Amino acid sequence: MSRPTNLITRGAGAPPPPVMTQASRQTTNALVFLGPACVFLLCLLVIPIFVDLVVAFTDMSQTVRIDGFTTKQFEKLAKPSPEALLGFELRGSFYRALSLSAVYVVCTLAIFNISFALILALTTTALPDWLGGLYRAIWLLPRMSPSVVYGLLWLWTIDPTGRGLLNQVLAVAGLDPVNPKLDAPLTVIVVANGFIGASIGMLILTSAIRSIPQHLFYAARADGAGSLSIVRHIVLPALRWPLSYITVFQSLALLVSFEYIFLIMGPARQTMTMAMLAYTKTLAPGIGSGQYAYGAAITLILIVIGMAVALILWRLSNMKRLLTRPRIEVQ
Amino acid sequence: MKFNLFLAATALAFGAITTTPVLAEEVTLKLWSRADRSGPLRAGNIVTAADQLNRAFAAAGSDTRVKIDLIETNAKGFDADALDLLKAHSVGDTPDIAVAAHEWIGSFVEAGFAANLEPHIAANAAMYADIIPQLWTSVMYKGDRYGIPQDSEVRMFFVNNDILRKAGKSEDFIAGLPAAVEAGEFTMYDWCDLGAEAVNSGAAKIGWVHRPNVGPDFQMAMAAFGIDIYNDDAAKLQITKSGLTEYYGWLKYCVGNGSLPADMTSYSWDSTHAAFRGGDAMGKFHGIWNVGAQLEAFGLTGEDDYFHKLTWIHAPAGIKGGAPKNLSHPVVYVVGDTPNKDLAALLVAMASQHVPNTAHAVGTNHTPINYGQTAMPEFQDGGWALIKGTPMLKYAEFMPNHAKIGQYNAITYTGVQAVETGEMTPEDAAEMVIEELEVELGDDVIILD
Repeated sequence: MSRPTNLITRGAGAPPPPVMTQASRQTTNALVFLGPACVFLLCLLVIPIFVDLVVAFTDMSQTVRIDGFTTKQFEKLAKPSPEALLGFELRGSFYRALSLSAVYVVCTLAIFNISFALILALTTTALPDWLGGLYRAIWLLPRMSPSVVYGLLWLWTIDPTGRGLLNQVLAVAGLDPVNPKLDAPLTVIVVANGFIGASIGMLILTSAIRSIPQHLFYAARADGAGSLSIVRHIVLPALRWPLSYITVFQSLALLVSFEYIFLIMGPARQTMTMAMLAYTKTLAPGIGSGQYAYGAAITLILIVIGMAVALILWRLSNMKRLLTRPRIEVQ
Repeated sequence: MKFNLFLAATALAFGAITTTPVLAEEVTLKLWSRADRSGPLRAGNIVTAADQLNRAFAAAGSDTRVKIDLIETNAKGFDADALDLLKAHSVGDTPDIAVAAHEWIGSFVEAGFAANLEPHIAANAAMYADIIPQLWTSVMYKGDRYGIPQDSEVRMFFVNNDILRKAGKSEDFIAGLPAAVEAGEFTMYDWCDLGAEAVNSGAAKIGWVHRPNVGPDFQMAMAAFGIDIYNDDAAKLQITKSGLTEYYGWLKYCVGNGSLPADMTSYSWDSTHAAFRGGDAMGKFHGIWNVGAQLEAFGLTGEDDYFHKLTWIHAPAGIKGGAPKNLSHPVVYVVGDTPNKDLAALLVAMASQHVPNTAHAVGTNHTPINYGQTAMPEFQDGGWALIKGTPMLKYAEFMPNHAKIGQYNAITYTGVQAVETGEMTPEDAAEMVIEELEVELGDDVIILD
């Protein structure tokens, strides 16, 4: 709906006031409101991706000098193979990193960031407000703790000796001590990251559940619906968009996360995901780092995978509908 | 007239201001050193040497003064520090002197940072005449010396004698252990068997521990199995598949017989130290600088007390009759290829003399760089462990000064992880490591078989 560009009627002989057309006002608004975000995106997203793209095709290493352009970093990740379907075969360490990343992302996302977050949101909203709030606050503690503190707590919890919290609990129960870092390293990083990721999902889903009009619940109860029926027919349909958002956002975040993996497992082979591989080859001190171009090549592949995953999930979850203009305009 | 007077006064004042700095020449040298509590005098001795030189200038009536601009970095370790240094050099911020781990010399030379010190050493031969000859190996690159050893240390296997006694070993056996190792009678496999015996008898909870991350210590174990990781003639790294398989096979054997924890590579440094110093582990391989912490942890008071409790041995030979090995990992001074390199090298020479180096060595439990230092009162009084460790240097190996040694170590370590955790057999691990070395290091590594 368009509005008149000038609502003031000028008196005869009065000097013309400064005129701001709708177009110029929109431009100003766009600059004021979107400008900082655009600069932010350009500096922290577009330029780094461009730099990564350039560096990935160089031989940049310890001296940070570029002596020429080459594709040899990618040859470290895959080798030509006439028998392979795509004409190349992934090298061992890269294939392994790719597989570990897939398992890590899918498991953390499915078990914790979505399922567990949903359970937390459902249970804490079903509790009295003060009790639900308390539980949510407790679940937010890992998110609020500094990464290093959280990592150290995990190290103490899963310490294989009698000093470890987990083994102390098992000892009380009369069970043998366990060594999760050796026997279940992937489980350790999935659970450690999952506890953090679940809290974000819990907050978003709690907020979505709270925004469901109360009269729907009353009507359902009046019609004799049980708790499970209410969850299935009222709550879950209302959570479709938040769940889609969490899935897309968290899968991308998990794909590039390595902070807690490094803090808890170090550069262990069993948990060398793509992001960890890129970090160990470039910046992690004392473990063969300084291979900036090699790390950039791994990161570039990670960016491409991230974009592909985002597009697929966008399509599958029909996120486009979420972002379309509403069909009615509320004044 | 007034205007002319004003002009004259202004000219005089301006002249006074501008001529003063010209009379006294100040030469500023940039000194790069990481802030390291374990060796503050590495940089401190250079600053002291500059003070000494300034006193000499003053005595000679010269107005020249040397000023040290200390760039103290907060890098987590020498590797991270060396990478920062290379980045600084690549943007033209080259220091005149750098304190670094010796294995980075290859990278420094290739990057055009390190100055060739052969002419300087030849011209100042008397200042370097007493340096322990083996230490020069640590600063060699393609036949020339590009650094001056700043300190040295020796890495070895520490053995807890009380655990051996508890396991039923005689005093004769304990006392004869170092000699048996030197004679090649006690092998790496015997070491694991001894650890397993200590565990099985209940005398120890853990047989032995090694460092829990990538590092130079593993090189002495590899060398014990005949792996020579550097080809001097070609100035390239090298590896043998058979040697690597044998080395990984030994690790598998140690994990299998219960002497080495399968999750050793996921230990923290704290847990590793605690395992030995807490009396849980029979043995540990690490460096001589641990002596101070061991004295404190075990409540020991002096040399006799210490050697009653602990024994030092080299890394035993891989097979009977072979040669034992140990490792030294010196920190070195590197002189930047800058216009001030001659002056910088002279300061390094002054800082490498017996008195300043002893102040560093005794204070930080490092072995000396000059033979004569062991005769100094400071060493005689407080450096008994270092005096004891110095003869071990004759079996010392050094990490090669190759630009890609860090990558080489990191890749061979992945094999250690894979074998110890039971993920791979020694053969598969050797295969995987060799493929990775070929892929990542390319022409810089020679695969011997």
